[in-house]
Amino acid sequence: MLQYLIIQLDDTSTSYCHYYNGKRNRNLISIDTLKSGIMFGMKENLMIQYILPDYELPDEYYEVLESIDHSKIASSGSPYASVADVVVLNGWNKDYAFDIEGVYVLRVDKRTLFEKTSEILKVLKECARLNIVITDVEKFSDADFETYKSVLDSFSKELEALYVAGKTPQLNLLTDRMMLDGMNNCNAGSDSITLAPDGRFYVCPAFYLAPDDEDYGLGKSKVSVGSLASGLDIKNPQLYRLSHAPLCRNCDAYQCKRCVWLNRKTTYEVNTPSHEQCVVAHLERNASRALLMDIRKHGTFLPEKEDIKEISYLDPFDVRKEW
Amino acid sequence: MGIPTTHYHFVMKTRTITFIVTKDCQLLCKYCYLVGKNSNERMSLSIAKQAVDRILSIEDKFLEEKVVWDFIGGEPLLEIELIEKIIGYIEYKLQELKHHWLNNSSIRITTNGLLYCSEKVQRFISKYHDILDISISIDGNKTKQDLNRIFPNGKGSYDLVLKGVRKWVMQFENVATKMVISSEDLPYVYESGVHLLELGVSRLDMNLVVEDVWRDGDDKILEEQLVRFADYVIEHNLHQDRKLFIFEECIGKPFNPSFESSPCGSMMLSVDSSGSFYTCLRFAGYSLRSKKPRFIGNIKDGINYNLLRPYCILDELSQSPYKCLKCDVATGCRWCPAENYDSSLTSTVFERSTAICKMHKARVRAKNYYWYKLNRNRN
Repeated sequence: MLQYLIIQLDDTSTSYCHYYNGKRNRNLISIDTLKSGIMFGMKENLMIQYILPDYELPDEYYEVLESIDHSKIASSGSPYASVADVVVLNGWNKDYAFDIEGVYVLRVDKRTLFEKTSEILKVLKECARLNIVITDVEKFSDADFETYKSVLDSFSKELEALYVAGKTPQLNLLTDRMMLDGMNNCNAGSDSITLAPDGRFYVCPAFYLAPDDEDYGLGKSKVSVGSLASGLDIKNPQLYRLSHAPLCRNCDAYQCKRCVWLNRKTTYEVNTPSHEQCVVAHLERNASRALLMDIRKHGTFLPEKEDIKEISYLDPFDVRKEW
Repeated sequence: MGIPTTHYHFVMKTRTITFIVTKDCQLLCKYCYLVGKNSNERMSLSIAKQAVDRILSIEDKFLEEKVVWDFIGGEPLLEIELIEKIIGYIEYKLQELKHHWLNNSSIRITTNGLLYCSEKVQRFISKYHDILDISISIDGNKTKQDLNRIFPNGKGSYDLVLKGVRKWVMQFENVATKMVISSEDLPYVYESGVHLLELGVSRLDMNLVVEDVWRDGDDKILEEQLVRFADYVIEHNLHQDRKLFIFEECIGKPFNPSFESSPCGSMMLSVDSSGSFYTCLRFAGYSLRSKKPRFIGNIKDGINYNLLRPYCILDELSQSPYKCLKCDVATGCRWCPAENYDSSLTSTVFERSTAICKMHKARVRAKNYYWYKLNRNRN
């Protein structure tokens, strides 16, 4: 069921996920479109999330934004970073001053993550929550999987030490799975929908920000799913639901993003993840399992949660016939 | 008791590799799903060899015990010399690589039969007879065949094809063919089925066109025709030695998620004249009405296994609308991933085309009649 309306306020508003935003020309949503979007959210009982740009909005916009409950996403370079609920760092900046109560998205490519692991893991004690988004997950090689495993081990050791010291930092890659009892994916197109400055709805910002001529094989990447004028019109909406994702509905890598944009890009199907997305998610899942066991060696921890079971595969595709 | 057919699972240990050797055909069958046939796209031997090299170089990905080297068109016998050269190269490479498909290969050709009696084709048949599964597509009697399977000038093909069919049933045991059933030829299904059995066809499939072509009342006509056909089969005791897939015992049961999945993807691979790989020829451009070709790789770059994944996990549960999941006679209802794709709103294979729904139900009623009558007679 739809729960969230994400409003991309400007073409240049930061990406907070796997997709790349290459737009450099400002294109601010019109005030009327913004008001209509908010009205849509109210009528559909949706929680609104604004993705703010890196420049000051006109005063009349800010008044409209604040007229309803919402959360704000802004980049670290935005004038709204200090009031944002989620701050996005596009790339690693070791000099960035984190807020101990802040929630951050760190968008990094695999190379940066691998090379700067020892610096990045120090952030865990400097903020409340860190979401690491690997921006080129679809390019992981077998060697990268091995490296990623050791990176996760490094993060685990840091987290274990912090938890033993009585702190409770969150790292999406490792602590989410420990807490979850079921799939907690992005669910774009199912739980959330995006309104873009053009007044149209998109499954997520990635489907709006794709270059006009981008085509991974079966058609344009930029696809809208209705508009404020004509209403929401998601074709084949069932395919965005977990129930219609044959691999995912049986999977227990609960923290996986299950990114429908990456799915579409890599397999042509929004309900089918790539090998790379599955293996990365399972490396995280297995590292979460080990972390949970390690923390529990020091005492009672999440007693209501069962152990995460041991599995023999990294890609559920390899064991699909057993399901 | 009739012979229960083994359904689709019999092929699951066999990989089928299809060479689309030409997209040309002498006929212009009215219902043909190959909407982009042409005389320009003929496979070169060089492309075929590169395809063979690529396929045999990834033996660890093709672990099936056996392989069927399948040659299709258009009309494949237009390229019989090319086919022979490709097979020669395959044999050479299997030997050279000591590949596990050496001595585990067979050849399949599906033809319209027009060139069957030609000297070149007959020489080919003599050479490969023991490993060759050749099937002539014939729709039935003259009326039905000439209604749909016609030349560009409108002339029917029955008289010419019949010559090949008579030779074919003499040369091979247990010959199999598929009768295609379309809306226009429904009144001739019974007599066409009888005709094919009289000609000596041992294994007969009757395939309903999966595209959205069916008209009001077609289901009633099909049911009536199949009931008459069931009566004929039973009265002549043909159920004892013929396989009639239209009356498969296992069809027409409530939805069962473990019933079957399409071999498309997990067991099939096709290559065309451009060197592009598809799971099935129906994803090639000449098969698609409204969508782009859906490749899974090519001879230069190999197979993109991420693009292959959807076909391997495509199950009935994920593609079917609610009415299919609740259907009391769901099993055996044909679905085709490529038709799903071609008719879909979002270029997906996960949107089931249900154009065949009422025709499947008619088939199930006839099948029920067949087995009811057969079992009552036995008792």
